[in-house]
Amino acid sequence: MSKCRIPLGPFHPLLEEAEFFDIKVEGEKVIDIEMETGWMHRGHEKISETKSFTQSIYLVERICGICSTSHPFAAAHAMEDINNVEIPERGQYIRIFIGEMERIHSHLLWLGLAGHFIGYDTLWMWTWKYREPVLQIFEKVSGNRNHYAMFRVGGVGRDFDNALIPEIHPVLDMLEKKMLMIAGAAEDDPVLRSRLKGVGVLTKEDAINYCANGPTARASGVDIDVRRDDGLEYDLINFDVIVLPNGDVYDKLVLRVLEIIESVKIARQCLDAFPKVGGEYLNKVKHISPGEGIGRYEAPRGEVFHYIRSDGSNRPLRHKVRAPSFSNIPTYKASCVGIPLADALITLASVDPCYCCTERSIRVIDKNNQRLQHNLLTMSRDKTAALKKTIAGNEKTPIDRVFED
Amino acid sequence: MSDKGTEFFEKFKDKMTKVIHKPRRHYFNIKNEDLIEIADYLFNTMGCRLSICTATEVYDGLEVLYHFSDDSTGTYYNPRVKTGLTNPEINSIAPMINGANWIEREMYDLFGIKFKGHPDLKKLLTYNSPHFGEDDHPMRFKRNRTQEK
Repeated sequence: MSKCRIPLGPFHPLLEEAEFFDIKVEGEKVIDIEMETGWMHRGHEKISETKSFTQSIYLVERICGICSTSHPFAAAHAMEDINNVEIPERGQYIRIFIGEMERIHSHLLWLGLAGHFIGYDTLWMWTWKYREPVLQIFEKVSGNRNHYAMFRVGGVGRDFDNALIPEIHPVLDMLEKKMLMIAGAAEDDPVLRSRLKGVGVLTKEDAINYCANGPTARASGVDIDVRRDDGLEYDLINFDVIVLPNGDVYDKLVLRVLEIIESVKIARQCLDAFPKVGGEYLNKVKHISPGEGIGRYEAPRGEVFHYIRSDGSNRPLRHKVRAPSFSNIPTYKASCVGIPLADALITLASVDPCYCCTERSIRVIDKNNQRLQHNLLTMSRDKTAALKKTIAGNEKTPIDRVFED
Repeated sequence: MSDKGTEFFEKFKDKMTKVIHKPRRHYFNIKNEDLIEIADYLFNTMGCRLSICTATEVYDGLEVLYHFSDDSTGTYYNPRVKTGLTNPEINSIAPMINGANWIEREMYDLFGIKFKGHPDLKKLLTYNSPHFGEDDHPMRFKRNRTQEK
């Protein structure tokens, strides 16, 4: 059977972000797949070394536009790990509430995208309709729809207004009802079932060997969840970790629906606790002592990891950021090879990849090593122009290399 | 500390220096020659997951801190390997752990640390970029800068 190579990206209608996949097919079957990164780089790790600890939290919030609370959550944990800071109970409940509402809206966003990828646009329109009230809750609680800016070292920066509780309960009830409906639809709908069941299977052994985490690992039967394993705030809450055995796209979809229902239960426990737990919500930390700390949090996509080393000044000496997609994206080597090309796209999308989280760490400074360069837009245009030039000339581009053999 | 952890520190206590125990976080220095043995024990025997590695440039060289997470107890084991500033080279654990493949490629890209035995050591983030040459490693302080266009 004839072999050929199919370029996917760097700019493609089905990829939300710029990424290049080089897919080798034999007939319709994928036999090998390679990925090239580097279309987005913003230098967060290096910029963080020039900011104070408080500013770093706002900086890392900008790494991801969807799970924008996970990075501050993990960075605050890392700073608190250096100093062993105690967080007031009300602050802990506010942190959990914000984190869980974010998980709900992020999973709803992925469900919509997954529906769109398989041509099931009804699911896309439904889930994004249910996502809107969640964003409105965020606007009422924090003043922002997306970057909530709630986190400080030692607690949260803003109190929760208890008068909002009666407005939030109906939204949670609606979400639970609708998610049970979608879970039922996934169970009963022959189209969804036949399109996703058994597609893109990631076995448990592969998930462990590729160090996958989050929903990608849990859908393959690996029982890990940072919220339960690391404890901290979540010791106050009763919740179940959902683990499914098969590792296919169908299980990943069902797992996310069930996690939304679980998050609704956690958010209800927080709302019940707010009137009872009063008092301080921030334990002010004036100084981070020298040392190193590790903080992590279960983001909607998996484990967010932050490592901070402090020399006793007001800035981090080294700030390492690892987003969940960095560990989850390489599993495509195990899950995409051997399946039809039409299934490869939804399999690539099933880990809920976030490419701008994956590529966050390049240093961009001017000639004299003095200041940060702010012409990232120009850099991006230069790269595209160079790509166009090499397509016209003799130099080889990624796309040229695909058509070489 | 869990039983598994006590057993681990007892078994390898001759090969570790500068051991720091914090609540659920353990940091220790090891030599490059012992890295594969210790990583094999942590990953295959104790069932830890390799979260990520942090490379840092310090005054006397480069160091790589491996973060192995024991998810059953929420504990991190962090072996630290040091290497020199010129021709930095560390043994690769990618043949044993598939997840280390991208992690080592990223450290090679940003810090220029060569991983001996890596199956496919090429740049990850600045691969094929006109702004970064082959020996230009952007997170190093003395950077071998590519001529800006």
